[in-house]
Amino acid sequence: MSQDRFLDQVTALLPALRAFGRSLCGDPARADDLVQDTVLKAWTNREQFQSGSNLKAWLFTILRNCYYSELRHRKFEVEDPDGVCAAQVAVSPDHDAKLHLRDLNRALQELPVDQREALILVCATGLSYEEAADVCQVAVGTIKSRIARARDRLVDLLGDDAARVGGPLAFSDVDSNELSQRSGTS
Amino acid sequence: MIIMSEKTKPEQAMAQSAEPTDQVPDWLGGRLRRMFSEVMDEPVPDEFKALLQKLEEKERGS
Repeated sequence: MSQDRFLDQVTALLPALRAFGRSLCGDPARADDLVQDTVLKAWTNREQFQSGSNLKAWLFTILRNCYYSELRHRKFEVEDPDGVCAAQVAVSPDHDAKLHLRDLNRALQELPVDQREALILVCATGLSYEEAADVCQVAVGTIKSRIARARDRLVDLLGDDAARVGGPLAFSDVDSNELSQRSGTS
Repeated sequence: MIIMSEKTKPEQAMAQSAEPTDQVPDWLGGRLRRMFSEVMDEPVPDEFKALLQKLEEKERGS
């Protein structure tokens, strides 16, 4: 039967699931726990998956639902994503790129979770707006406005740093249209 | 503007219309993708292989 193929496909998507989980929660170990839960839930509910539809989006949906329910349970715990990220990178701050990623990771954790997931789904995982809207169970317009808010916040948090560390090259990437849009509408 | 021909798959048209870089500046989009691909490139830990194997055995056993 096609169950083996289902598991094969899940296996092939493990790297993407781990990357999604880690961008979402900012903590590698916690992300891998989320992925394990996701795989188990997906397997248990595999009958509900309609073959031919988008398995990646389906698995992402399960993962973000796991994450949300975990957030609800952790509500009263004190979280320290900064401590986790800082500790990891402090070991080898050998590279601008690494510092960039640490800062990005930190800044992402400052965003409201709905904005964070919208931004990650569309801009990091490469899902379309429509797929991201399905995963988050909201309208496409909602995804767009969440991304816009997330972008404005991250530009505030990281923009100076992008200009300073990257030098003029970092800014030459930003087209003038984007700059005028940003100053015009934010 | 995207014109959908008979040959254009809807997903392809969507992917074009959903070009993420028109919403975020390139430096930010680039960093987000790099963050993602760094984890994608990591080897998957053994615990996952063990889990998948267990599920496969379960599937065959039942």
